[in-house]
Amino acid sequence: MFQAASAKLAQTLLVLLIVSAASFAFLKLAPGDPVGIMLGSDYSKTSYDQLTHELGLDRPVVQQYGNWLADFVRGDWGTSYITNQDIFELAVMQALPVTLTLAALSLLIALVIGIPTGVMAALYRNSWADVLATTLAIGGNAFPSFYLGILLIWLFGVDLGWFPVLGFVAPWEDFWLGMWHLVLPAVTLGAWYVGLIARITRSSLLEVLGQPYILAARARGEPGWRVVWVHGMRNVLMPLVTVIGLQLGGMLRGAVMTEVVFALPGLGMMVTTAVLNREYIVVQAGIMLTGLLFVAVNLAVDQTYQFLDPRLRRR
Amino acid sequence: MSEQSHKDKLADVLAAGINRRSFMKLMGSGAGLAAGSAIMGGSLVQSAMAAAPKRGGTIKLAWIDAVDTLDPHFTASLGSVKIINNVFNGLLKVAYDGQKVSFVPDLAETWEMPDDKTHVFKLRKGVKFHNGDPCDATAVKWSLERVKDPAVGSPHAWKFETLAGIDIVDESTIRMRFSKPYAFLPVALTGSTGRAGTIVSKRAVEQHGKAFGRNPVGTGPFKFAGWRENESITLERNPDYFEPGLPYLDGVQILLIKEPTAAVAAMMSGQVDGMSLSPFQFIPQLKANKNLKVYGEVEGNYSFVGMNNRRAPFDDPMMRKAVAAAIDRNVIVKQGYFDEAIPAYSCISPPMTGFYDKNIGKSGRGQRFDLKKAMEYRKQSKYQGEVNPVYIVAQGFTGSGGSGTRNSQLILPMLEKIGIKPKIELLDRAVWTKRRNGGDFDMYDEAWIADLDPDETIYPEWHSGKPWNFVGYSNKEFDKLLSEAQDTLNQATRKKLYDRAEDLLMADAPLAVLAHMKVFKILNKRVQGFQYIPVDLLNLHSVWLA
Repeated sequence: MFQAASAKLAQTLLVLLIVSAASFAFLKLAPGDPVGIMLGSDYSKTSYDQLTHELGLDRPVVQQYGNWLADFVRGDWGTSYITNQDIFELAVMQALPVTLTLAALSLLIALVIGIPTGVMAALYRNSWADVLATTLAIGGNAFPSFYLGILLIWLFGVDLGWFPVLGFVAPWEDFWLGMWHLVLPAVTLGAWYVGLIARITRSSLLEVLGQPYILAARARGEPGWRVVWVHGMRNVLMPLVTVIGLQLGGMLRGAVMTEVVFALPGLGMMVTTAVLNREYIVVQAGIMLTGLLFVAVNLAVDQTYQFLDPRLRRR
Repeated sequence: MSEQSHKDKLADVLAAGINRRSFMKLMGSGAGLAAGSAIMGGSLVQSAMAAAPKRGGTIKLAWIDAVDTLDPHFTASLGSVKIINNVFNGLLKVAYDGQKVSFVPDLAETWEMPDDKTHVFKLRKGVKFHNGDPCDATAVKWSLERVKDPAVGSPHAWKFETLAGIDIVDESTIRMRFSKPYAFLPVALTGSTGRAGTIVSKRAVEQHGKAFGRNPVGTGPFKFAGWRENESITLERNPDYFEPGLPYLDGVQILLIKEPTAAVAAMMSGQVDGMSLSPFQFIPQLKANKNLKVYGEVEGNYSFVGMNNRRAPFDDPMMRKAVAAAIDRNVIVKQGYFDEAIPAYSCISPPMTGFYDKNIGKSGRGQRFDLKKAMEYRKQSKYQGEVNPVYIVAQGFTGSGGSGTRNSQLILPMLEKIGIKPKIELLDRAVWTKRRNGGDFDMYDEAWIADLDPDETIYPEWHSGKPWNFVGYSNKEFDKLLSEAQDTLNQATRKKLYDRAEDLLMADAPLAVLAHMKVFKILNKRVQGFQYIPVDLLNLHSVWLA
């Protein structure tokens, strides 16, 4: 048990190390540098060299990586070149909660819409409801989130004026105002997930409903809703949770676009700004945090299996 | 710095203008206000006053241009300058009477020049920084010296390179001594374009160190109240602001927005009261909305396509001339700038009154569309057959004065008619900057903006070996004319010299000029009292909400 856990931990750390090295290398390979951006057009060669030196950007790349890594693991994530802000504070305390809130709400919306849609499609297979549900599902999956975001902004924000079109209000400061601000972004990001969830639900449920135990349940005279939602769904949850976990990457990718379109100060916005400014260490922090999140979710998914399937529980 | 010599000369001209208007001899702050408003064209101010401004309220603004730091001595972004101008004051500020841009006193009350190298500023009395410290001669001296101090490393240090010393005459008078006559000084001392003369609080700088740019303390109408990264900046009313009764607003909320579409949507739906800037493609829509007012005039700028003189195919002037003649500027203005610009025939733009040739469109001077000529030039060029120059374009709405990508797409078919098929490379700004600065391109899109004098707009850009001459253009005669123009104080003579210099430049065509553009501020009609200044400022001290 302890051995398995430490092996898992070592594996995780190795993955994160590879991620950090690869992203560092890619960032350095990208042309352009932060100093030119910071100084604008009114600068001299001296101030350029001075700033390059101050930021440590004149050192060999391997040394820069080494220094960064040594600081990073000690919890010193550095300060932003441009904003002078502590990056840990910026990434973990400010940006992460925004992205997590957005992701959680999107997921909730996706589940609330996606599961019933999938169930409907499975129960009334090949009927018009199935076609409609499948079309909506695939449409939601195929629609680029930034474009959907802009369409939603114009329809519900400008023409109808129902929802705010930008900005973030922390739900833990003002719950209803925060939620109201998050509706459009969460629908935008969730739309992509709706399709995925509906499709998985539909196909898994179809498979499950053909199983003998379902027939047995029906034979026992259990009500239809109980057969589907209790006996059936129980076995749909496994593939569903797996896919949701695996697709977290897609969710975070969508969050970048959504955050930029709706001006939400989350991780996606932070990384976008930092990439454009070539703020290597901020991008690096964003990538590491995303990597950690990914690993954490996968671990969590592993753990939930035990709850979802008693056979997997350790004795 | 190499930039110094030409700024010196420019300075003489500006200084001469200042003495002639003699607006510096103002007594007392009340008189200062009155005289200030007279300079600014009383009608503007009075119309704002007549509507009986209301106190209170918070204005919510969508800010789509980047904000790097609010330390005026370090910022490189006009998005920051617009905010800084509401938090800080300069010794001077920029004013506009609807016709002409001028420099009027701000923290200074009077400005005298005992000789051409000495400037004596009498300061407003009783002005306090937001932290309560007095903004007296000692404070002003310290702030000015901060810019110059090499240890501080301000990118604006060169603006004070010839500053020999600052004396404190008494607690509200300072004397700036320069080693040479310095005519760029008025520009340098304003809180906006020059930034070097923006006065910052010593105690706050020492307290926050490098983080001063996130905790700015000035003397302006609004105090800095908070900055949430990638989200918003808030300002609150400074009750001790030195202009009595101002500002009207209780606070300012600046929403930092990356995606202009979202800002436009917020503007249209009334969720924000204003926008710091707008891309051209949204202007027709914004103008059509009856709740909004679009402010914007043609400012001191020009957009162009630069051609690399150092390598084939644009080392051949005939090729460059062909490009310059093949571009139909009317199409660029209509489709690239949605009619919110005017065709450019040369670099000097309309706000440079006295230098801009109003008849240039009809006079035959400068560059213009002439396909027949373009084909002729192309025939005479060294490079026959199809050529495929690399054309680098910066992504985003700030490219080439707001239309880099659109312009390149419009220019492409125009050049195909003369057998030039450019390969467009759409780059993000950091990469584009690197490629441009390294001369790694055949064609590139650019716009020089917010210039106040012809020297500023031509010299560092096109004189041999100057820093922004990225295309490597060199013409000895052109260089000589520019230097001569810098030495000449008589405006008529100076204009003639610039005309000749520009004729040479346009004929050699290291660049194909495209347009002089408008720069926009969008405000909801309930926002009153805004005074438009055509150097990309959004000053809120006189603004109130109806």
